[in-house]
Amino acid sequence: MKCRQKNTRYRCVWVSGPLRSSCFLLLVALISVPLLAQTPSERPVPILTGTAGYFNFVTAGQNQLDAQINPVLLVPLGDRWLVESRAEFEGAFQRPDGGGPYGGGVSKNLDYAQVDYIANPYVTVTVGRFLTPFGIFNERLYPIWIRSLQQDPLILPIATGSSDGMMLRGGFPVNAKANLNYAVYVSAVSSGHNNLESDRNVGGRMGVFLPGPRVEVGASWQKLLQDERSNAFGFHFAWQPTRLPLNVHSEYARSNQGSGYWIDGAYRLSQVPFLQKAMRRLEFAGRAEQFFSGQISSDEAQALGLPGANTREGEFGLNYYLHDGLKAVASYGRQFSYDGNSNLWTVGIAYRFVVPLGRVGSQ
Amino acid sequence: MNFKYLATIWLLALISAIAMASVQPRSRTATEPAVRSSTEADAMRLEGEKRFRANCGRCHATPQKFPPRMMATIVRHMRVRATITDEDMRLVLYYMTQ
Repeated sequence: MKCRQKNTRYRCVWVSGPLRSSCFLLLVALISVPLLAQTPSERPVPILTGTAGYFNFVTAGQNQLDAQINPVLLVPLGDRWLVESRAEFEGAFQRPDGGGPYGGGVSKNLDYAQVDYIANPYVTVTVGRFLTPFGIFNERLYPIWIRSLQQDPLILPIATGSSDGMMLRGGFPVNAKANLNYAVYVSAVSSGHNNLESDRNVGGRMGVFLPGPRVEVGASWQKLLQDERSNAFGFHFAWQPTRLPLNVHSEYARSNQGSGYWIDGAYRLSQVPFLQKAMRRLEFAGRAEQFFSGQISSDEAQALGLPGANTREGEFGLNYYLHDGLKAVASYGRQFSYDGNSNLWTVGIAYRFVVPLGRVGSQ
Repeated sequence: MNFKYLATIWLLALISAIAMASVQPRSRTATEPAVRSSTEADAMRLEGEKRFRANCGRCHATPQKFPPRMMATIVRHMRVRATITDEDMRLVLYYMTQ
């Protein structure tokens, strides 16, 4: 996540009156739900998973070496509990202006550390530090082994990052042709600590997934509860055609910090009739995006990780899956900005690891 | 209507949903939702593969299959992360562990 300037005081928000009573009733109802049985051979085991990657980002001729590791710890407890956490260690090194050896620092962030309680088929309760469910990129597409292009979308910093508080979420079928998913959350802690940034806010996301055409559409909303009480909203779209190995994702977001959209597609060349052994491992990806400056200054926008001026960007790249969870990536993009145009080159490798922390037996 | 009342209505609606869900009988195990015959098992595998491609393929490439105890953890994690439905989770887990 990008650096943000925030209030450094820690403050808690306490809900009051009818809301507090409802929370109590909700907890009582959750406890009364019967548990599922599991045999020893299928009892979940703790796992250490995550991603590691190394990339060369060349932006406007400036080379940056980027090495990162993002460990994820998953600890299931009983039939319905899950403790999960992800940290991010990223070293970014580049030569200073005028030449010299590569230098830079290693950033450390705790992306999430949460306890999930799967209450029933409709509700999962999450408490702790969690990824803010605004749009789909932050929660689902952020890991480097998942994203089709390694550059962050321009609008990613809008209303995303991490939140500290409580969240209710779930997904359930509305009928045979549609599933509904939702997340509603309260972030109660405002923190500007370098590794634990978060804002006080409330928000929610709702989406409808149509399994037949494999289309998902949804909307997100967030209200900031800092000194400033601004609203942000967004829309997302995902489509995976049944007849083509194609993945299309798109988001739109708007806030007083700015607005914009991105749309990207990833096409696996598995249907190409020649060199099939190699082609089915190859993926072509492209993205188009645009950012419009908001009501904040250019310096404030850049401190949030947003462009300092209106910006358009196009990018395309190739991903080659060497092995399950291991892919080589290369991409080229061109950015058009009021601050100046630039080329964006990326070359690197991303790896996903999965290690059981206990006996798993044989498959 | 202010935020507190909207939130109250929202939470009461969730409580109702939980109450409805809690009266449904549940005796099956996590990965074997009432398999009675090999024909039914085959049908479940096919349906599981379909749900797998629809849900998991939305975000990432097909991963390898892991031992059942690892898959149980991964699917639980993905259920929370991707808000997939309870039925989808069971069928995907069944498919990935067969």
